[in-house]
Amino acid sequence: MTAVDWDALARRARVRNRARTTTLYAFLIAVSVPIILPYIWLVTIAFSARTGVAETHVLWRSVLILVPTVIGCWVAAVVAVTRRQMWIGILGVAAIGIAVFAIVVGPDLHLRNFIFLVEPDFASVVRSRVGEVSGAVQFPNVWKAFLNSLLLAGSQTVIVVTVASLAGYYLSRFQFPGRAGMLRALLVLHAFPVLTLIVPLFLMLYYIGLLDTLLGVILVLVGFELPFAVFIMKGFFDAVPWDIEMSALTDGASRRQAFVQVVLPQVTNGIIAVSVFSFIRGWEEYIFVFTFLISNANWTMSLYMFFVRDDVMGVDYGVVSAVGVFYLVPSLLLYAAAQRYLMQMPISGVKG
Amino acid sequence: MTALAEEALIARGLARKAARRRRANFIIFLGPAIVLMVIFFIVPVLIDIAVSFTDLGRALRITEVSTANYERIFAGDTRLTQVVALTAIYVFGTLALFNVGFGLLLALVTAPLNPVSSGFFRGVWLLPRMSPSVLYILLWLWVVDPSPTGLLNQILLTVGVVDAPLDLKTSAPVMLIIISNGFIGASLGMIIFTSAIKGIPVHLFHAARVDGAGSLSIARHITLPALRWPISFITIYQALSLLVSFEYILLLTEGGPFYDTTVYALYIYRRAFEGGQYGYGAALALFLIVIGIVLALLGWRFFDMKKLLQSPRIEVH
Repeated sequence: MTAVDWDALARRARVRNRARTTTLYAFLIAVSVPIILPYIWLVTIAFSARTGVAETHVLWRSVLILVPTVIGCWVAAVVAVTRRQMWIGILGVAAIGIAVFAIVVGPDLHLRNFIFLVEPDFASVVRSRVGEVSGAVQFPNVWKAFLNSLLLAGSQTVIVVTVASLAGYYLSRFQFPGRAGMLRALLVLHAFPVLTLIVPLFLMLYYIGLLDTLLGVILVLVGFELPFAVFIMKGFFDAVPWDIEMSALTDGASRRQAFVQVVLPQVTNGIIAVSVFSFIRGWEEYIFVFTFLISNANWTMSLYMFFVRDDVMGVDYGVVSAVGVFYLVPSLLLYAAAQRYLMQMPISGVKG
Repeated sequence: MTALAEEALIARGLARKAARRRRANFIIFLGPAIVLMVIFFIVPVLIDIAVSFTDLGRALRITEVSTANYERIFAGDTRLTQVVALTAIYVFGTLALFNVGFGLLLALVTAPLNPVSSGFFRGVWLLPRMSPSVLYILLWLWVVDPSPTGLLNQILLTVGVVDAPLDLKTSAPVMLIIISNGFIGASLGMIIFTSAIKGIPVHLFHAARVDGAGSLSIARHITLPALRWPISFITIYQALSLLVSFEYILLLTEGGPFYDTTVYALYIYRRAFEGGQYGYGAALALFLIVIGIVLALLGWRFFDMKKLLQSPRIEVH
């Protein structure tokens, strides 16, 4: 007859639990550091590099401050019981981190690497700083590339959303001969490897005369985004109750009126999700713009970024990072703002 | 009599009107989508087939129509064997190690954490996917920079693992393209597997615990069986996307050194746009198009056809 020592058992279970949690977190931190570190480096260099060389000591000093701050914020969030406590904890730790950062790293920070935003001929300035005077590439104004990217992503988004809403609604709500076949074809197309068509598309654009025009790239991207967008929109239309539409029709609306005035407002989330998705695709697009756009007046941000890196001034890490930050931030902001809508989308996008 | 005829006439008029409206609706709603998809999917495929039988080159003039390109693929191109072998290594390596393997690991590890921490770590792993490709690869180029100031070299030299700076771009290029693509690929698997794990009824875990199962046997007997469908979904779709995408490789190594990291899709691109052999590129691309369609057809199993094809409930147009 042995008495069970419940306390000891409970203690052992607690210890084991804690050990397991610690291992999990250690593993997650270990695999996350290789991803975060380059991004921290990018931002640090963009705001601190002075000459052609990367100033590595600034990086390590800021990492030594940033990492404990982030971990501190996270611990504060985990131990907090109420939401209020969590925010107080996070803000407190962040404030301390920022103060230390300002004291230790602050004097090294400057905005001179963002010269490309104000100086149209920044390339010569940077090249002379690096010690080379001539470069192979003539750079357009960065705002021109920025506008081109906006134009490309924006107009492509507008067309995709409009066409996909119309088609998605029709496929969801109308019966017509060949409907099943068309939906099946759409399923194949939405996974179709579009990059394989790059050679015939190049030839097509050349013969039509749209090679080296933004319009050509916009149309190509629209065509490729469309099957996926139609598919997503159909899913959102499927979820709208039939009763709404029936009552609109009973009240005397035509199908077209019912679509515009009654059903469309029900799928706002779908429209936002598809818009954000296509906009980001357009903003990030590289291969097609690289292959189809030649003259630098048509450059988008991705090409601008690529050629800044490729040019002689690529050794000036400061300017390259600054361009990188300028290019990256809109993407991340968009993802962060639209995360809620993107998560509602059935994920079957194909990338990487 | 006349009244009847009139009625028939009106009825016929209405029917004609309805038919016209039906046609108009079809054109308004579906017309633009059909036109765009035909122009950008079907026409290019047809052009690709046509061009593959010509010797279309940089001069954009066709001088000969023959099957020479196909003969070259099957007999003449000695480099192709190496390219196909590399593609197999790249696709299976990335898929097994990262898209499925690491994605699964991340999902299993983050699922039991509290929402704040799991959200944070998942956010970190989504970072590469959210970055534009040019920028993401720029970071990689800096990480593996062969000079002592490259990020990896700084760390390794400080820790003392190596004595001289490494140059991974020339010494381990295949590993480099697998890892850089894998960091992006892992996040999709992570998201899909996480939502699948969250869909498992909690009482199964409780019951297993009561029966004395440990974490590993729970993963083995409850979680993994529930992930069978998501895993095959990821395998097929990511295999397809790895097979055809070459963006990151082109930016990172340009297919080099020499042809060491030139996968099949990139080989097409290099032949067509660097070598100016559009005809040969088109012939090579045709094989990838066929494989792509086959894999996309395999993907049909993952969709609920009955739900997809459910018929509409209003017949009015």
